[in-house]
Amino acid sequence: MLALRLARGTHPLVLLRRLLVTAAAAGTGFLVLAALGHAAAHPATAGDSLARLLWCTAPLAATAQLAVSMARTDPAARLQRGMAAAGLGPFRLTLLAATSTALFCALGVLLSLVVFLALRGDLGTAASGTATGSRAIDSGLLGAGHPLPWIGALMLISVIPLTAAVATAFSLRPRTEAGAVDTDTPSTTEAPSGLPWGVALAAAGLAIEAYTSPAAGAAGELLPLSGRLIGSPPGILAGWALAAIGLVLAGPGLVYLSGQLLCAGRPGALRLLSGRVLQEESHRLGRPLGVLCAVASGVYAAGVLHQAAPSRPLGPFTAIGAAVVLACVTVSALSSALESRAARARSTATLRRLGASAFVLHRATALRATALVLVLGPLTWTVAEMATLPLVH
Amino acid sequence: MVAPPDNDVLRAHGLHHTHGATVALTDVSLDVREGEIFAVSGPRGSGKTTLLKCLSGQLVPTQGEIWFNGSPVHTLSSPSRERLRLDRFGWIDTEPHLVPELSAWENAALPLLLRGAGHRAAKHTAIEWLERLDVGMCARRRPGRLDQSQRQRVAIARALVTTPQVLFADEPTAPLHSADGTQVLRTLTTAARSHHITVVLATYDPKVAALADRTIALLDGRRSGAVPETAGASDEESRAACSLSV
Repeated sequence: MLALRLARGTHPLVLLRRLLVTAAAAGTGFLVLAALGHAAAHPATAGDSLARLLWCTAPLAATAQLAVSMARTDPAARLQRGMAAAGLGPFRLTLLAATSTALFCALGVLLSLVVFLALRGDLGTAASGTATGSRAIDSGLLGAGHPLPWIGALMLISVIPLTAAVATAFSLRPRTEAGAVDTDTPSTTEAPSGLPWGVALAAAGLAIEAYTSPAAGAAGELLPLSGRLIGSPPGILAGWALAAIGLVLAGPGLVYLSGQLLCAGRPGALRLLSGRVLQEESHRLGRPLGVLCAVASGVYAAGVLHQAAPSRPLGPFTAIGAAVVLACVTVSALSSALESRAARARSTATLRRLGASAFVLHRATALRATALVLVLGPLTWTVAEMATLPLVH
Repeated sequence: MVAPPDNDVLRAHGLHHTHGATVALTDVSLDVREGEIFAVSGPRGSGKTTLLKCLSGQLVPTQGEIWFNGSPVHTLSSPSRERLRLDRFGWIDTEPHLVPELSAWENAALPLLLRGAGHRAAKHTAIEWLERLDVGMCARRRPGRLDQSQRQRVAIARALVTTPQVLFADEPTAPLHSADGTQVLRTLTTAARSHHITVVLATYDPKVAALADRTIALLDGRRSGAVPETAGASDEESRAACSLSV
């Protein structure tokens, strides 16, 4: 009830951010339901349906990540002191955050269920008339006319809010040493340790892919999109997945490295501030940026393969899934940047008090962004090129 | 508008300030002479911090005038006030707000670097000041690994490194243990005296106020009766006698 009451009282802009989670959950829910509809319509090809369902884990993971990053930057979490004064400790606050995440995801999932049923034509004649009129292909793809297993559908879609809530609770769980957000966390000066592992995993993934990829000319059969999953060999998928995990693991190390490069030599105030901040924030920024790079390289590779074999049209479900994943990881990366800005508000105030002009601080931010683009951009491109190399040639 | 006398480095006339609906300052006037240590005393919530922020150009008073070296501060634009703060003023907070990403010497050198000084010269000056304030050994450590009194000394070094014309200190000893506080305050005042820096010191502690040449008392945002000059303290000779070579 408190989660509902808090949601009702929040600022419209904050509510809009929460609605992004709802939208992502709706997209994912629709994909899951579509897989179920496919299974209901084609009981013979169960393997194909299972593969479709498995592909839904990508948007599911992206939705969970978005929910976590939104919960971390939620202004309600910053009201901790007031809540603590009202008797709501860190444990109950975590539960509260998880509950509100589940609430918004459940809303999205219900929305997707309504849209799904309307498109299938299960919601009475009027709805089905307009739906089948405009989206005739969809209603066929969704398994219209075949009875839907209700319990199974509800169980499947309830996985989405549950996953998001559990991920939120795990990410915001009260730590033993740092109770509140506003305590001075001891600065972690050492570099993140994931860089060698990330590089090794990415290299191993690319090697596996190159090793298992069949001879040239078969690219058309390889594109691992949900429509033709059965045709795509597991070796290539495993290679891509490993390379993506490697990029995610290497993210913090790469951000730290960019910071180190920025303040190398004898830096002035501008380079010193931007570089050191990047090094310090690498733990917070690195993971979401790594995910963003991995997704970007995946999309680039898929685009290149699609161009190599343009005979296959992009299916609606692939488009929805890709849109959900892309939007989620972009928003997560942006919101982690916002989170780090909020965490640095005190030192920004200190700098302003010293007389540092807003212009200097903006230039430092721009310098940080440029350094990140210069380091991460070419790397993402290289990984994507190397991932597609054995497939198109 | 009366032109201020020459020996007043800072002069405020009829300051009013309101934070939203809260009245923080009501009709406060004062003048600070060059090279003196000027204390503003009063309990918490009496408007000391607001007064210091107005004087240093961080806040613009709702009403009233502020003159620095004979030129008005209250009419300056926000960028020129920032420039004035960077070039002429130093600021020490109650809490040592250091930039956690930078090491102690980088923190201390930051105002110099922001002014565009060279890396090597800034480092040299910053480390000199850290050594004078007995924190030279932790110049390479980050603020997270220093204790509170070391951090406050680094903050003082950061305020002094540019040898500002006026140093504003807002209850600089409040978070420290009493022995640390006394020592920090003594180093601060001796450094100011030997470098001829004017200090405006806000404090609730009468013992701290006793170190100052002149004190004004604030209560509920008003001046509650000026305390006359401490006998002998404003005397040039006794001032020279108590200035250590810091």
